[in-house]
Amino acid sequence: MSTIVDPAEILKSIENTPKMSASATELLSLTGDPNHNFCDVVAIVRNDSILTARVLKTVNSAAFSLMQEVTSIDRAVSFMGEKMLVGVALEVATAHLFDKKLEGYGGERGDLWRHDLRCAIASEEITKLAGTGFSKDLAFTGGILHDIGKSIISDYLKNTAEGALLQIEEGAYADYLDAEQNLLGTDHTLVGETLALDWKLPEPLRQVIRYHHQPAEASDEYRALVYAVHLGDLLAMMGGSGTGADNMHYTLDERYKDYLNLSNGDMELIILNVDEAYEKASESMAGGTDA
Amino acid sequence: MILGVGDFGAVNQAGEEVKTFALGSCVAVIFLNVKTRMVGMAHIALPDSSINTEKGKTKPGYFANTGIPALLDLMNRMGCAAGGVGMSVKLAGGASIMDPNNTFNIGKRNQLAIKKILWRYHLGALSMDVGGNFSRTVAVSVDTGKVLLSSPGKKDWEI
Repeated sequence: MSTIVDPAEILKSIENTPKMSASATELLSLTGDPNHNFCDVVAIVRNDSILTARVLKTVNSAAFSLMQEVTSIDRAVSFMGEKMLVGVALEVATAHLFDKKLEGYGGERGDLWRHDLRCAIASEEITKLAGTGFSKDLAFTGGILHDIGKSIISDYLKNTAEGALLQIEEGAYADYLDAEQNLLGTDHTLVGETLALDWKLPEPLRQVIRYHHQPAEASDEYRALVYAVHLGDLLAMMGGSGTGADNMHYTLDERYKDYLNLSNGDMELIILNVDEAYEKASESMAGGTDA
Repeated sequence: MILGVGDFGAVNQAGEEVKTFALGSCVAVIFLNVKTRMVGMAHIALPDSSINTEKGKTKPGYFANTGIPALLDLMNRMGCAAGGVGMSVKLAGGASIMDPNNTFNIGKRNQLAIKKILWRYHLGALSMDVGGNFSRTVAVSVDTGKVLLSSPGKKDWEI
């Protein structure tokens, strides 16, 4: 199969992508440990001046409606909560990726962040309602990072969107993941996984990034988590937060029912809760994007 | 006027337009009133407010059963006849992800709920562009009354 780009070029792009900041990597690792200590979380933030500034700016934003300005980092982290702290840390550490205009997908600047944030909130809600056995914060972080590969391969997909949609409509490509495979010989989940390995992200997050469109192939241990993000991703698209021409062109794996106990009524409740939480979160976490 | 999820509004001044971005499974209900040169739109997210009646009160545009009456009421207060008399209706949105067995059928259920509410007012859609696997941005201009749709990777079109 001939592709429009040499896959080696894409690999080179991954190698040239700046490493994630030490504070973001440490926070991901620490907060993934159920027995971690709050003081250790604060210490990581303290040691990163850019992150400290962003945390204070976020917690003092209108979205938190605090009566008095918060100047202490301990209090700021308490108000914010660890989930949002990790979100802000990832936004700061990977702004160069999240903030890009996704030209290959026909997406605008900030679309990737908005989609990932909505997916993160949806994955968290699903985890809470369906009882996956995983922490909702882990599902949130997985949602934030699941599509990180798109920011790399978007550069190689320029001017392909219209043709890809036509091929999907005609049944030549099964969905947009298949379109990426046909055009590039790789796709955003594989590229994302390579980036995740390069960044030394924890195993559950790597599984989410790699298998969020093929959750049945995730390892047994993390499959329920991956299904939660799989659904979160699709719900984000249905809610209107996509990344461009690929929006809605991915396939639902109905076997989620074997792992997530959700009724149709639950789905509607999740959509409602996600819209409300997204509005609040996008106000407070909009520092680096147009969101 | 830009409408977010669950918003509704109407405009009637020359040069004005009402627009909503990236409808996925949500549906835009568009009312056009030739007599008053007024256009209205509701960005509806879910079929029925019974899942959260409080939300139905604070953000009626979010649900089909509360959004359509709220928009008609607003347009009546702005000068249109009551009860939807003289309204033309257009619909856009209600898409779904690739889901062969319609497990996630919120888009379709939104469409059906909207049509059901419209029937109560003896209204039906003059034209619509609903379903499919793509998102839609919709804009309606007071000057032309045209309903223009766009979607990434597609050429703009009119309904």
